Amino acid sequence: MTPRGERLLRAWRRFWRPPRRLRTTPAGRTYLVLTFGVGLGALNTGNNLLYLLLGLQLSIVVVSGILSERCVRRVQVRRLLPAAPRARSPFRLAWGLRLEKGQAFALTVAEVHPVLGAAAAHLAWLPSGEEVVVHAVTTAPRRGPLELHAIRISTSFPFGLFVKSRDLDVPGELLVLPGRVPPPPEPPSSSSGLGLEQRSLRGLDGGGDLAQLRELREGEDARRIHWRKSAQLGTLLRVERDAQPQPRIVLQLDDRAPAESLDGACEELAARAELLLARGAEVGLESTGGLRVRPGTGAFQSQAILRVLARAGHEEAPR
Amino acid sequence: MSPERLRLVLRDLAAGSAFGAMAISAQVPLWTVALFAVALVVAVAGRRPLADGRLSAVALLVAVVILYAAVMVEQLDLVVAACTTASLLTAQRMLSRPTARTTDQVHLASLLMIAGGAVLSADLLFALCLFLYAVLAVLSQGLSVLAEAGGGPFPPVGRVLRPLAAGVTLSMAGALAFFVLFPRLSWNVAARRGGPSLGAATTGFADGLRLGGTGLLKSNPRVVFRARIDPDPGSEQLDAYWVGRRFDVFDGVQWSASGRPGAPARQVVLGSAEPNLVRQEIDLLPAYGSRTLVALDAPVIFGDAESHQATFSVRTELVPSGDREVRLVGPSEHLTYRAFSATDRAVLRATGDGERARRLQLPARLDPRIPALASTLSEGAVGDRAVARQLERALQSGYAYTLELPGRVKDPLADFFFDRRAGHCEDFATALAVLLRSRQIPARVVVGFHGGERAAGEYLIRAGDAHAWVEAEVDGHVLRLDATPPQHRSAAGSGVTGWLLARWEALQIRWLDRVVEYSLSDQARLAQGIQWKTGESHASPTARRPDGSVAVALGILAAAFLLAALLGRRAAAGDAAALGRTLHRLLRRRGRLGPAGWLDGARVEEAELAPVREGIERYREARFGRRPLGPGERRRLVRQARQALRSDASPSAPRPSPPTSRA
Repeated sequence: MTPRGERLLRAWRRFWRPPRRLRTTPAGRTYLVLTFGVGLGALNTGNNLLYLLLGLQLSIVVVSGILSERCVRRVQVRRLLPAAPRARSPFRLAWGLRLEKGQAFALTVAEVHPVLGAAAAHLAWLPSGEEVVVHAVTTAPRRGPLELHAIRISTSFPFGLFVKSRDLDVPGELLVLPGRVPPPPEPPSSSSGLGLEQRSLRGLDGGGDLAQLRELREGEDARRIHWRKSAQLGTLLRVERDAQPQPRIVLQLDDRAPAESLDGACEELAARAELLLARGAEVGLESTGGLRVRPGTGAFQSQAILRVLARAGHEEAPR
Repeated sequence: MSPERLRLVLRDLAAGSAFGAMAISAQVPLWTVALFAVALVVAVAGRRPLADGRLSAVALLVAVVILYAAVMVEQLDLVVAACTTASLLTAQRMLSRPTARTTDQVHLASLLMIAGGAVLSADLLFALCLFLYAVLAVLSQGLSVLAEAGGGPFPPVGRVLRPLAAGVTLSMAGALAFFVLFPRLSWNVAARRGGPSLGAATTGFADGLRLGGTGLLKSNPRVVFRARIDPDPGSEQLDAYWVGRRFDVFDGVQWSASGRPGAPARQVVLGSAEPNLVRQEIDLLPAYGSRTLVALDAPVIFGDAESHQATFSVRTELVPSGDREVRLVGPSEHLTYRAFSATDRAVLRATGDGERARRLQLPARLDPRIPALASTLSEGAVGDRAVARQLERALQSGYAYTLELPGRVKDPLADFFFDRRAGHCEDFATALAVLLRSRQIPARVVVGFHGGERAAGEYLIRAGDAHAWVEAEVDGHVLRLDATPPQHRSAAGSGVTGWLLARWEALQIRWLDRVVEYSLSDQARLAQGIQWKTGESHASPTARRPDGSVAVALGILAAAFLLAALLGRRAAAGDAAALGRTLHRLLRRRGRLGPAGWLDGARVEEAELAPVREGIERYREARFGRRPLGPGERRRLVRQARQALRSDASPSAPRPSPPTSRA
């Protein structure tokens, strides 16, 4: 189905979606059976006390609906997404709950999503006037953007017979980064067939010009000690040199590959990019489909590459 | 008490209430009552000895098998067996390790017990148990849901109490509305209805009268019938005699009636009607337990008798039997009828020589001392009327009243006169009748009831009001003579107990009328009443005018809700108030209170007194800002403030005058 078709289908379903969902708990099912039995007994015998009991039982069902509605009706929710969730690794999904008036009890918060819906956070009491943040730990099986539409607030308050749910439309997107895998072995040559091209590799590690001398701190490598000056001044001094000219590496990705192999390739490239960036290299990314990240260093570069890798292959059909 | 413990205690007490609803029928085996009571006490004490429930489950299974075996051999009623099973299951679950599952099971088994109670008993106590069960179960279940929800601190119990109290109130109101409005359509497949009071019928009214016996008569407070009298006497305590049977033949030990039964009829007329008849609408309750109809002395007409079954009422026939006695033709647990009584007692005169002779007949083996005693006691009296009254007074003053029976004696009458010199109403009546007959005054013994307590516009007569007296024919008039000392004629309570009993009975009547016996015709009357009130149609004059009972019920519910809400608010504000009081005390000791001794403006600007400032700030938020203290927060704040003030080395300022109010 085309994305437009999916959107129309979602809109159609949303239009016909009931404002609340009601699910019966096991105790609630037994309770309903008992209520039915008492009703049958009342009709059979004409015993007014059974009618009274039946009335009480039915009223409790109605009251349960009213009180649970009061719990879920005014709750406001905002989604607090994790910064860099990785596929197959647990991450925290958090929600901020707020109530302007009244109070709510026994709340359960979850995403209305086939993948993330299983993770739910619980809150015994939500007072008014302050935001309470709850979280759940979940995992996503695959990388890629997850389109989130709604958050489900549920409560079994007051009697635990029914679970009433309300879906709040809160659109959002969770980008799941490629999963963590061991980095592949170092390529033997500049063009190794692993998608790594070594364009420039100048100088050796630790070979920059002398910048300054400073006192050696505890735990620092003793091989960096400038022994001559240390002997002159009577204290251990270490050498600090200018930054080493960084190697510049542009990783190549074939994003037209089938989904399964593409996931594997992305995870491998992500692992390599993180490794190289950790070593101080300038790393970039190019794909056959036109995705491009200019070479750079540091944590931001790592995030940029991982985000591009997460979206690779998902540009036309977001999930 | 922690919320966890509180919810378990509430759960167990709810189960106890449900069991009580069942146990008041007195049909549950005693061993079950004892077992459940022990289990309840143990559970409320917080002990769960059946943590591993396997062994107890096996024992429960065995007990259930035995119970149903007893049903198969017709030793036990099926409903009672089912109720007993539910109570055993509840007890076993209460004593097991408390989990969400066992809590649900206890609640559901309790619901079964309540249903069992509805089948077994129709007493007002059932309503009390049902109310208690509903309140306790709702509170307990609400706390259980929160405990199971987890996530974050447990809310203050007071905060939870408010919506739950609202829930209870709405549930009750909904139950009442359903009860009133739901059409009473019944398939009548397995009609069964409990009695309106504890145990089986135990009337104090006997069909025969035999002197002697062993044991102790008990003054039973159960109401056996109620009567609406027109014209209404209006008095709170009725000094009236309700006639049941008359006995004219006495063999020295036992009285019997000589009349022959007549033909059954819808209406029985015992004498000529006079213009000033006293009309009575009498309701013989299941506790009455006799077929003899009663009416105010002297009844002349009985009619409009209706026997009420579980789901329908049927007109029934009456039959005159014995000496002016009227009996019901078939058995009936609950009977209503009308009776008319004459104010002129002339209708009771003997109609022939045979009847007069029977009223004068003395036992063949009468102790010769008795006629002599009659002469002695009536010495000085001139005329039959004076003799009768003198003998009546002599017995009232010369003999003691006791409920203790004489035991196995050969001549109970001689024993009363000459040995024990004490007895109960039947002894006194017999003694007077024999003394009168010894003096050639026709007399017979009448048994029935004496008295009547007013409740809800009616008069209630208890089993303990059963009484015996004498009718004597003197100078062409029929005198009613009662030799029993006046203070022992009826079982009317006195003081606070009597007042409470009367109120309870009044409530019981309303309960039976408005709830237990509520029917489709009542619903039709209610609809007519509403129409009458709106003026859209003319109500029949007999239609029951809507009274204030619904308003009273709603008022009680509203009061209960307000009370619960108030308690909840107090509980919620309790921590904050306690924090404020403690801080106030600490600051007063240090002389650091604000102007006029308030917390506002307290002199706590120093850096080391930051915890005190925090405490004051949190107090204000919790008390007035709807941000309650968390669990243990009050203790922490107090501890910090105490430490800060202790380490504060600055000299105390002069103590201000005592505060007149607090922030």
